[in-house]
Order: sequence, then C-alpha cells, then structure tokens
Amino acid sequence: MSQRRTITRREFLSLSAVAAAGAVVSACAPRATEAPPPTAAPTTAPPTATPVPEATAVPQPTYSEAPMLADLVAQGTLPPVDERLPKNPYVCQVAESIGNYGGTMRRAFKGVSDRWGPTKHNDRTLIWFDQNLNMVPRLIESWEVSDDATTFTLHLREGMKWSDGTDYTSDAFKWFYDHQAAQPDLNPSPWEKLTTRDEAGNKVLCEAEFPDAYTVVYRFAHPKPLLPYQTTRDFNGFQTPGHYMKQFHIELCDDADALQAEVTAAGFNAWNEYFTDRNLWYMNPDRPQVMPWLSKNMLSEELFLMERNPYYFAVDPAGNQLPYLDKVTHRLFETTEVFNLWITNGEIDMQYRHTSIANYSLYKESEASGDYRVVLGVMAEHLAMQLNLSCKNEKLAEVYNDRNVRIALSLAINRDEINELVYDGMLVPRQYSPLPMSPNYYEKLSNAYIEYDPDEANRLLDEAGYTERDAEGFRLFKDGSGPISFTVESTYEAGTPLEDAVQLMIGYWADVGIKATYKYFERALYTEHYSANEIEAASWGGDRTVLPLAPEAIIFRGVQPDRPWCPGWGLWFTSNGTDANGVEPPAGHWMWDIWDIWDQITKEPDPVEQNKLFEGILDIWAEELPMIGVLGEQPGTIIVKNGFRNIVEGVPLDDTTGDEHFLQTETYFWDEPEKHTT
Amino acid sequence: MLGYIMRRVLLMIPTLFAISIISFITIQLPPGDYLTSYAAQLRQTGENVDEDEIRSLRERYGLGQPVYVQYYKWISGILLRGDWGQSMEWQKPVKDLIWERMALTVVLSLVALLVSWFVAIPIGVYSATHQYSIPDYILSIINFIGAGTPGFMIALVVMWVAMTRLGLNVGGLFSQEYMVAPWSWDKVVDLLKHLWIPVIVIAIGSTAGSIRTTRANLLDELNKPYVEMARAKGLKEGKLIWKYPVRVALNPFFSTVGWSLASLISGQTLVAVVLSLQTNGPMMLRALTSQDMYLAGSFLLLLSTLTVIGTLVSDILLAWVDPRIRLGG
Repeated sequence: MSQRRTITRREFLSLSAVAAAGAVVSACAPRATEAPPPTAAPTTAPPTATPVPEATAVPQPTYSEAPMLADLVAQGTLPPVDERLPKNPYVCQVAESIGNYGGTMRRAFKGVSDRWGPTKHNDRTLIWFDQNLNMVPRLIESWEVSDDATTFTLHLREGMKWSDGTDYTSDAFKWFYDHQAAQPDLNPSPWEKLTTRDEAGNKVLCEAEFPDAYTVVYRFAHPKPLLPYQTTRDFNGFQTPGHYMKQFHIELCDDADALQAEVTAAGFNAWNEYFTDRNLWYMNPDRPQVMPWLSKNMLSEELFLMERNPYYFAVDPAGNQLPYLDKVTHRLFETTEVFNLWITNGEIDMQYRHTSIANYSLYKESEASGDYRVVLGVMAEHLAMQLNLSCKNEKLAEVYNDRNVRIALSLAINRDEINELVYDGMLVPRQYSPLPMSPNYYEKLSNAYIEYDPDEANRLLDEAGYTERDAEGFRLFKDGSGPISFTVESTYEAGTPLEDAVQLMIGYWADVGIKATYKYFERALYTEHYSANEIEAASWGGDRTVLPLAPEAIIFRGVQPDRPWCPGWGLWFTSNGTDANGVEPPAGHWMWDIWDIWDQITKEPDPVEQNKLFEGILDIWAEELPMIGVLGEQPGTIIVKNGFRNIVEGVPLDDTTGDEHFLQTETYFWDEPEKHTT
Repeated sequence: MLGYIMRRVLLMIPTLFAISIISFITIQLPPGDYLTSYAAQLRQTGENVDEDEIRSLRERYGLGQPVYVQYYKWISGILLRGDWGQSMEWQKPVKDLIWERMALTVVLSLVALLVSWFVAIPIGVYSATHQYSIPDYILSIINFIGAGTPGFMIALVVMWVAMTRLGLNVGGLFSQEYMVAPWSWDKVVDLLKHLWIPVIVIAIGSTAGSIRTTRANLLDELNKPYVEMARAKGLKEGKLIWKYPVRVALNPFFSTVGWSLASLISGQTLVAVVLSLQTNGPMMLRALTSQDMYLAGSFLLLLSTLTVIGTLVSDILLAWVDPRIRLGG
C-alpha cells in the first residue's frame, strides 16, 4: 500500500491556523503606525526650522497600493487608495505570506463555453468561505437571518465602489430587484434565489426593502435558510450596475428605437439577449465590476486579458490593497495535448482545470525543465456505481431494492486492488460521502461496507434468496428465470482508467455470481437514457462532497438524475409527479425519510442544526447504501510555477468551493514579479 | 460556353437549397440539442446546472419550436438580412466568428497548397521520366511513408521535436504577446515563425498524394504516339515533356479545385485541432459536436456552396486547358 497523502480536516485546520497566525503577526505592525518616511514632507515647505503644522502635513495613507496604480494616482488620473477602498475593506487572509505587487499569471481555457476557469477565478459573491469552510461575508460587510429564516438583512460596505468609481450601494440591489429579477423578458420565471415556493409549488417573489444606502432587506413568504449558501456561487444576481446597464434595458433606456437598432446591429434577435450579453463581464469589458481583475477584451478571443481593478475592495492583513498580480491571461487551446505541452514547457503559471491525474507522471517528469511544481489538492469526485433502484425492469428493481444485495455487491469489490492497479494506490477506499475536511464528514458512512469480503457477500446473496445458479454459475432470479444480468452504462471510453476500474468491478461481481456488462454510451445518448429512466445501472462519479448542503445535496437526495441511483424517483420528485418518466417511491420507503429530513433542513435557520439534521440523511445512506462508492479523495493536480505563491497542498477541489480558486485568488503573488511580466 | 455557364449557375440554386435543408436536418438528428449537450458538459466538469436557466435559454434560442420554423428563421435571416444567426457556444454572431478566422485559414491552406504543388509536380515529373531508377525508388519510399502517416501524427511529432529540440513555443499561430496585438511587422514575423509547422505538416500529406498522381498520369502519357512524334521531330526533351504530356497529366489538379476551394476554409481540421490553430476547421468540428446548430449549419452551407462553385470553376478550367472536354460539352 503506498503512502496516503490525504489531508485530514484537523491538518487542514492547523495549516490554516498557521497562516492565520502569520496574518495576525503582520497585522500587529500596521502601516498606519509606521513613522512617516522623510519623503512625505512637502517639498514646498520653507527651508526654515519652523515645524510644519500638523494639519497641513500630507496625510499618510492608511493603505498601500500597487506601483502601477500609484503612478496613476501621481498623474492625477486616479483618486488615492484610501478613497478607492471602502471604510471597512474586506481583509483577505493569506495562505502562506504577505505578497509582492506585480507580474502576470498565465492560464489556458477552451473557449466561451469553458468560461468557468476565468469566472471561478474572478467572480466575487456576497458570501464566501474561509479556510475552515465557514461562510464569511465578502462583498457585503455582514448579514443577519431572522429566527424563522424568512428575513435576510445585508449590510453593505460603506464607501465601496464599482470599477468605474461609482458608489456601490443598495441602489444596485434595488435596480436588480425592480428591473431584472422578475422582468418577464429577462427572467420569464422570477429569479430562483429571490423566490420561495408555496404549497402548490408556485414561485413567490420575496419582498425587498432598501432602508438606506448600505442596507438591503429581503422578506420571503416561506423559510429559505440555505440562501447564504446559494449566494456563494452567484455573481450575476442580487445586484447589477443599473447606472450602466439601464442603457440596454428597453423600459429604462432613453431611446427604445435606437436600442432596438443596436440590438439588431449586434446580431441579436431581441433586447433581452443583448442585455444579457452586455451584462457579462467577460463579454463586455465596459461593464463596471467589483472583481479583483477587469476584463480587457472578450472571452471569445484567442487570448483573454484581465488587469487589476483599481477599486477592488479588499486588502491583505498588512493593509495592502489586493490583488497582488497585475494581470491574468487565459490562452485558448483545442486539445489537451497542446495544453500538456504548454504545461511541460513551463508556459502555465497556475492551473488545475483540464489537468488530469492520469498525466501525473508526465507532469512530474518535466517539473525541473518546466520550472514548476505539482501541488496536490483533494478532489470531491468519487468512483462509484449506481444501481437504478427505480428501474423499469421490475425483476431487476426487486433485486436492487434488497438491502442485502447492495451490501453484498459493495463487499464483493476489492477496492485496494482497483486502487493499486488503476490509480497507483493514490486514492482512498470509501463510500460516496463528505470529504474529511468537510463539516459534514461522517466516518460511519465513509467506511460502511468497504472491506473486501467475498464470502460474506456470497452469504448475503444466498440469504437474500438468490441461491439458484445457472450452468455458468450466475445467480437466477427468485422465480427461476435469469440469470440476473444488467448493463452498466457510462461515458467512459474504452482504454481510460475509469473504464478499467468498471471492468474490474464487473469481474468481482461475476465472482459472487452476479452478471453485469459494461456499455459505453455517447454523452447525449446517456443523457437521453437517464432522463427517460431507461438505465439499469451506471458508473458516474459523485462529487459535491466538500459542503454537500451548498449544492442542496442533490446527489444524496437522488434528484440529480445523471448519477442515476434512482432517476425515476428523482424525476417524480422534481416535477411534482408530472414527469411521464417519474416513478413514485413505494410507501414507507426510506427515500421518503430522506426527503422528509431535507424538508426540515430547508426550514431550519441554524447552520449547526442543519448539519445535525443532515447527519440523519447520512445515517440512512450508511444503513441502506443507495449508491456503491468505491474510491475517493483522488488527488487533483494543480500546476504551480516555481516562485508562484499562496497556493497550498490539500485544498478541496469541488465545484461548490470554486475548485482551485477556493483560496483567495487575489492573494496569489510572484516571489520575483519583475520576471513574470508577460 | 456562356450559355453553359449560365445553365450551370441556375442549376446551383436548387442544389444549394436542397443542401441547406439536408444540412439543417442532419444537425438536428442526434438526440437532444445544444442545451442538453451544454448541460451535460457542465455536469461532467462538476458545475451546477440550474434547470430554470436551461429552460429559459431554450425558450430564448427557440429550441423548443418545430424544425421547419427554426429552419425558416435561419434561412430567411441569411437570405434577407445576411444574418447567419448567433452561435450559442461562443455567444457571438456566426458571421463575425467565421470571418475573424477566415483570413488566417485561407492563408494557411493556400500556402500549404502552393508548397505542396511546387514540390509535388517537379518530383512527380522526375519520378515518371526516370521510372525504376534508384532515385525513383527512394522518392517512392519517402512518398509512401508520407502518404501513409496520418497528418495529426506528423503534427504531434513535429510539435514535440520543435518544443524539445528547438525550444520553440508551439500551438497556435502567434506568440502570446502578439495574439491580441494589432497587425504590425513584428506580428507578421511572429506569424511566419509559427506558420512553417502547420504548413509542413499539411503539405506532407497532400504532397505525397500529388506526387503519385502526377507520376502515374505522366507515365500514361509518355508512351502516347504524340510524344513519340514530337520527339521524332527533334523537339528538345525538356521542352517536350513540360509542354505536352505534363499539361495533360495535370488535369486531376484542375478537376480537384472543386474540393480544394472548400478545404481552403475548413482547413485541415484534424491537424489544426492538434496544433491548436485558430482557424475555421476546429471551430466547425466543435460546433458539430456541441450541436451549436446555427454555427454548424452555416459552416456546412458555406462549405457546400464553395464545393458547388468550385466544381463549376474546375469544369471551366478543365475546358480551358483541355480542348477535348470543351468540344465534348
């Protein structure tokens, strides 16, 4: 067994504590208390011994700024840094140390539909996570939730500004609420995050109040305790720079005919398409932003350019305005072969997206020549098998729904062998469950039935009543027909490690007399299949295991049909029973208990209580094993150029937490920025 | 002759109409639409997919409408307003996307085509006139290797050599600093530094084929009586070969202009994908796989139009160089 390089929650916490301690030390020596440097004395002061009166001395700025901005301030084209920052700026903790200003970071992407690299890197939302995965206010200064979880009060940062220098106030939230959230052309159905559903399942828009420039109050008709989570990945909602966007709004613009002409000239059919396009920061460099870097051209270009936002609202613990890096570039590639060549040639400065653990040795080989290092994070993804419990084939459904069968099929898998043969032992045998650094980590589920015990598996299958076998040794259905046989569908192409792993599992199951075959499905066809509940079994990894509540536990609740452990039930639930392919779970089934507990969670305002309730769902999972998890905690390869800092080992890599951008991207910096200017 | 051309031009109209319908239907044939493939792609990379967003996007793009309504919207836009629709994947008008890349695509394909002709014709002629000599054997061996190795494979090898042995920056046609810079002398020089890799790779594949064609055709001609006659009359060997049999042997080059025209804009798709060239080929391939229907449909329509026009041009060229065809028509 090779070494386990996973990082536990405890280790990750202690690591963050070290970083935080460093931050405290540096915070103890704030710039404001430093003696003013002699150059600060006005040059026009008379050369006499008369002391300069206190009041006329040039005020020492509280905060520091990047040299490229200091130049602009000196030229008079930009206000001083203290005026650009809010009164109470967001203080960003740094993972390693306080950084240097300057330099460019180079990354790669695959086109507009692959916008997630740039957006996860740059989007700033109302609330984000600290290094211990607790929610902390980011764009806003603080927020409050009422006891019944229906009223949310947001407090904005006084003096914060959009990138064009306009004040960032509750006006932006009011504009969004009044003119966008429920505007029928822009949002045919009111914007999800500002609505709740009544008993009949209809959306009800919340009420909103804007008592002053820095306060926003949302009153929902029903409890919405998970709203803070929902804000963490939402960047284009809640607020809009109405002072800029109103020129593209048909009801608010000065000249509707002129706008219509502009829409047609730009190649759009209707004003709402044009509005949506103009509202995307990566397609419209003119739109005011609140992000660390501003787009300088469009994402549809071969090289997407981003440059620092002089009005960015955050500082490091030493009072330096962030970000440290001057520029970020994203270069377009078509195939991963070219991307890999760029990596090994040292042309990528920091990237996890589009790298693959399958290329680990390739990356390691060229570490020296490419002058980079491979930093490992922990992926949320699991290798897993899904048996369709809501299967249309009734005989198979009967087999799958026998708890003993699922446990037997889990015990029959030799996880260590798969790990060694396919993944060089770099993964960890576990069920699909929250990662060790997650507040929802639940060992009982992670370790449930993961030992390799074919004898016990055989015994359980016999006990379940599948004792008769055919000539080849495969077990028959209870009525003597058979053998029990099903198809495992997946989009893993032949020859990939994932396909190898699935074939191994099929072999282990054959050893205990269960016949399964693997079939590759093209993605579109696979989608058709699960959305029609036509699938018998599948293998698709389960992720969203860092903070399962943030993405509303869609996999644990079975409402994400692409991990088809119960697509029929999921479709029935999400469509309120109207989907033709939906199937109602049998009365008294534990599926109902999961949905009941979830219902309580969505009414519970206290996050601690939410997590406690969620444990109930995990308990059912540990008991019933709805999905057969195999391996997890897969290391994710983050390519980091030597001298590029504030990236640490062991970061969780999940969509929910922004993948490699979980750590604050504005704190990335170069040891020697002058060497990285292009 | 003029009447012939007129007739051919008129025939092109129903042909193109049929092609546009077929290509539009073909794009719609795979299950799902752009948004299902988009949603699946998001899920695969671990993104959240908001069903509401997908629904409202579907409405916005009119994907729920019957095929003939979608077709009518698309084709009437092209015919009446020159509007090729909006690419869903790139969120930009199709027209802009294709034109942006057109210049580079045409330059690359044209240079590669010319290089391959300049190399292939002399070698082909030499091989034919020196049939079964040692140089002919050597050239033939190289030739078969060239014809037998897939272009993308050569591209990977050349790229690897260029990067590890020559220390060049590979992938794409420009260095990072010139990618979005306006055109300048330095940018042209930078382009030339990168252009040779794709040109060589693309030229190798087509050169090999052209050499074989030239050689075989010329061999057919060399023994014809008119060649003997010219030789008997004392015409110089070099002049004789180049003026008479070579001209006839080049017929295939003219008759393939029809396809060459289309491949000028689609480029060498596979090679361009491997080399990450920002030409039209990779964009078309992606549009097809992601079911970005207006972009894919426009590409197919454009390619078919060029093929139809190219066929006409090659017929005219053939009639021009070969009197037998002219009179037969």
